[in-house]
Amino acid sequence: MNESPTFEEAQRELERIVSQLEGGRASLEDAVALWERGDELYRYCLERLDSAEGKIEELGDRIEEARP
Amino acid sequence: MKVEHEQQGDRKVYTVSAFNRGVASWLTRLPTIWVEGEVTEFRRQDRWQSVFFTLKDPGDGSCLPVSMPRNGFDALRLELVDGQTVHVFGRPELFATRGEFRLRALTIEPLGLGAVLAGLERLKRRLAAEGLFSSARKRRLPVFPRRIALLTGNEAAAKRDFVTAVTARFPAAQILIAQTYVQGPRAAPALATALSDLAREPGVDVVVLARGGGSFEDLLPFSDERLVRAVAASPVPVVSAVGHEQDTPLCDLAADARASTPTAAARLVVPDEAELRERLRSQRARLDRAPLSLVERKRAALDSLAGRLRALSPQATLHRGYAIVRTDSGILRSSTGVAQGERLEIELADGGLGARVEETRP
Repeated sequence: MNESPTFEEAQRELERIVSQLEGGRASLEDAVALWERGDELYRYCLERLDSAEGKIEELGDRIEEARP
Repeated sequence: MKVEHEQQGDRKVYTVSAFNRGVASWLTRLPTIWVEGEVTEFRRQDRWQSVFFTLKDPGDGSCLPVSMPRNGFDALRLELVDGQTVHVFGRPELFATRGEFRLRALTIEPLGLGAVLAGLERLKRRLAAEGLFSSARKRRLPVFPRRIALLTGNEAAAKRDFVTAVTARFPAAQILIAQTYVQGPRAAPALATALSDLAREPGVDVVVLARGGGSFEDLLPFSDERLVRAVAASPVPVVSAVGHEQDTPLCDLAADARASTPTAAARLVVPDEAELRERLRSQRARLDRAPLSLVERKRAALDSLAGRLRALSPQATLHRGYAIVRTDSGILRSSTGVAQGERLEIELADGGLGARVEETRP
């Protein structure tokens, strides 16, 4: 993938591609390219979900020093 | 009062003392008035004749030194704390030996609830007129934030409720928590600073401002102009989850979204991971089915074209009883130019005939 879309953007594009393929308007040549892009987006989204790691951090100390 | 000066050549020259006394005397002509501001740097000692503090304008930070005779102040039985908003009744004065200008207080009144409410209402109208609460300014919350910032007090409940609700929906969420004062005079500037710091931390896509319920006074910092402006100026969307359902601090109006509790705020800022995965699974299945159904669709379209093509072929026309008549020079469309006795080839739906012309008619 050239750029790094957000999860949201990737899933929205995937939805658009699936709908386009289901609508049957694409040419067979375009369909192959669309399907491959859809497959790539699916893997990207899944990867984002699988690789997310929970982390809870505190930014306490610095804030406590804030003065009026 | 006559202020003595010395004539030096063509110049009138005053001593510092005479100048100060002159200005001090002129100032006594100004009326006694009420001034509203926040108390800072309050100083009182038993051996001093007066108490001192600085009155600060919360809008632009302008300062005014105030003094009041200690006996008079003690008689008011006030417990002034830094940050408290008060009305001071007094007159301007120049402390001549130091050349210091200040407000000489005759009395001090802490702002009552009515005055506080009226002040809030004025602030609300002013900020609304600036467009700070306009729905056009509201940003959409990210569906899948990389990092979620939580700004709260050191009360365990709001923090625990939020973290629990977030991780239940999205176990792999990244949460950055900052704790600061959430009530009292220090709260508003501390919250405003912490909010803009948090919003600029790398990866932070949304900030949640959370505080449990409290008294009207407890929640006042969340209506402070500095915090409201910080919320409006935040580079990432802000969710306000302050107080209870019935409270509407001004920061709620400036925020991009509001939630009634920290748990409700969690539902706004993280997706349900199970739902997200289910949606992705269904998209995968549709993606995989799509090429097959696309080919089926194309085949059906091709079949229908073939049917129409067949219907248009000459053979179909011959079947309906028509015939094609040819001479050596091609298909005949007219009797003109055909000679008697000329040979014709006739093509029928089934088989053909060779014939000769008996007679021509126009």
